[in-house]
Amino acid sequence: MGWNMPRGVLISCIVVVTALALVPLADSRYLIDISTEILVYVLFALSLNVIIGYSGNVSFGHAAYFAIGGYANAILLTTYEWPLILSFPTAVVLSGLAAAFVAYFCTRLTDIYFAMLTLAFAMLVWAIAFKWRSVTGGDDGFVGVNVPEFIDGRAPFFYFTLVIVTISSAVLWMICHSAFGQTLVAVRENITRAGFIGVNTRLMRIGAFVVAGSFAGIAGAIFAMYNRGVYTESAFWTESAQVLIMTLLGGMYSFFGPAIGAATLYLLERFANEYTQYWPTVLGVILLVIVLVLPEGLVGLAKRVRERLAGGN
Amino acid sequence: MGSILRTTVVAAALVAAGASVVQAEIRIGVLYPIAGTGAVYGTPAMHGHNMGVDEVNAAGGILGQKVVTFARDTKLKPAAAAAAAKELITKEDVQILIGGLSSAVGLAISEVARQEGIVYIATIPKTIQMTTKKLHKYVFRTASHTDFEGDAIGQLVKKLGKKSVCDIQLDYAYGHDLAAGIEKGLAKHAPDAKKVIDLRSKLGATDYNAQITQILGSGCDVVTSGLWGSHFVNFAQQAGPFGLFDKVTYISGGEIASHEIAGKMGKDYPKNVISNTYELWYDHSFPGHKKFQADLAKRSGKKETAMWPVLAYIGVKFVAAAAEKAGSMDADKLSAALEGMSIDTPVGKRTIDPKTHQADAGQFWGPMVKKDGVDYRVMSPVTFFPAKLD
Repeated sequence: MGWNMPRGVLISCIVVVTALALVPLADSRYLIDISTEILVYVLFALSLNVIIGYSGNVSFGHAAYFAIGGYANAILLTTYEWPLILSFPTAVVLSGLAAAFVAYFCTRLTDIYFAMLTLAFAMLVWAIAFKWRSVTGGDDGFVGVNVPEFIDGRAPFFYFTLVIVTISSAVLWMICHSAFGQTLVAVRENITRAGFIGVNTRLMRIGAFVVAGSFAGIAGAIFAMYNRGVYTESAFWTESAQVLIMTLLGGMYSFFGPAIGAATLYLLERFANEYTQYWPTVLGVILLVIVLVLPEGLVGLAKRVRERLAGGN
Repeated sequence: MGSILRTTVVAAALVAAGASVVQAEIRIGVLYPIAGTGAVYGTPAMHGHNMGVDEVNAAGGILGQKVVTFARDTKLKPAAAAAAAKELITKEDVQILIGGLSSAVGLAISEVARQEGIVYIATIPKTIQMTTKKLHKYVFRTASHTDFEGDAIGQLVKKLGKKSVCDIQLDYAYGHDLAAGIEKGLAKHAPDAKKVIDLRSKLGATDYNAQITQILGSGCDVVTSGLWGSHFVNFAQQAGPFGLFDKVTYISGGEIASHEIAGKMGKDYPKNVISNTYELWYDHSFPGHKKFQADLAKRSGKKETAMWPVLAYIGVKFVAAAAEKAGSMDADKLSAALEGMSIDTPVGKRTIDPKTHQADAGQFWGPMVKKDGVDYRVMSPVTFFPAKLD
């Protein structure tokens, strides 16, 4: 099967997941918190990369599906008192459906027009969250999410997140390395040629969008429970820009690049905020460096360094 | 296996580094917007906070220990504020949280406080939800709220004998809550006054021409509002040429009587405006204000000081008083001590209701008038409206 993971990658993944599983044993609330948040952003960035890295489109509105997953799970858990086993999958399905709806229109376009339309739809989601105060709490946010007792603790919630993110990442890997994923790459590389060999390129792009939206919904649903709240800013364009930068920073042509980018950017922001008020400046510099020096992100940089070292030998 | 062991050792080292905090001091976590657009509120608030902490430390600290502040920027974003609050609790081991500015940020910090079992004193957020639907054991508010503002506006409409009301609010949580508060205030104090028109402007709006013409066409004799900060500045600049302030009285919450606004607008500040503020640098109605203002002026390097510092200052004073009463920084004991607690502040005595956790944060209300020799409007006469709803 094409999606079998290379041995080295598999071992690295097992090591990382095992190391993460040991985090709660350290008995540091801070470490558990940042690990949980990083895991959520890792999944969020990995999901966006299905659109960017695999189908070759840039979405400026990916936060919309994160927010839909978050709001849906929060509202179903709290307002309607659904059990998690129902609310969580429903939230993911709703995110996927919303992504399908948006993709239907956006995939009529390409390049910057596609990107702008994704942004427009995302801001529509933001506006709905902002205005539909009776349901979403408006700009006060939807605060006080009911979290099931079995994960209502720092360590249990971390393990819940670890399990969900690990499974989701594995599924994403399989999707990206399946025939569907390979066809997406063909569409990315040359959409005209892919069309001529019989690929329904629009359907493939819609598929990529739905997959990405659904997994962003999973990340959002987890984040709503972690924060015990969802806020309109989750759907705002700045959030979409943040996850886009995470993806670019890590490297969009590598499956795990966005995960590395998410962890790096999250930690940089965390520590920068503790020592300076000028995080936006730091972010701007990072973006400049990516565009000018690291077009293939950190993974591309590591590859170049490795190649240079090998050449030196 | 070797990799796992190495990772474990690294993780343990990280934890050891983070957990090596020794509690030899009282650690307060402070959350204001101290950079970007919100800094115009957060920076003065930090002046007040630091002044309060310095005074407490000069008097021997809290429970004999030095008070240390750990400040974080909320960026005016609830998720960022929640993350910062968690970091303050889990990494810096703060024993109490103070601050917040917008309603959403206040509610987000309050939720973290509830989860983590740590006391949070909201010094500026006004959303009524914080002390009603979203009330919990560990949240306390020393600021006013929208029902207090609405009640004061109702009293003023009655006092002026106004009969037809135009209401204009910003279309977000504070605007909606204040509109509801004004409805209650009018029903209670001026039941004969009829609401002619309800207008909503977008948060951040700069163009008010449509609303101005609607107000002028509606024939109302008073405008009630909560347009704050630059919203009011823009509204006033655009409404002035239409003669709106010649035709109606403008009664507004949102603290547009504060010197921050009056001083900034100078001669452009319109007539017929009655509004509120938490503090006025030139009004020494309450004992202790003169000294507070002088100290603040020295600290901020300005004779004409802002309104926000007093709110942050009061928050610190409540923490100190509660800790001394509780004899501990334990959250449950602090919470119990804060319930029903009274302290004297530069703007009057403040008491926290034991049931709602809301302080009776009265405000100064009055007409903004011209004064000889001063190039900005000042409030005169100044009337203190105690925060009482019954």
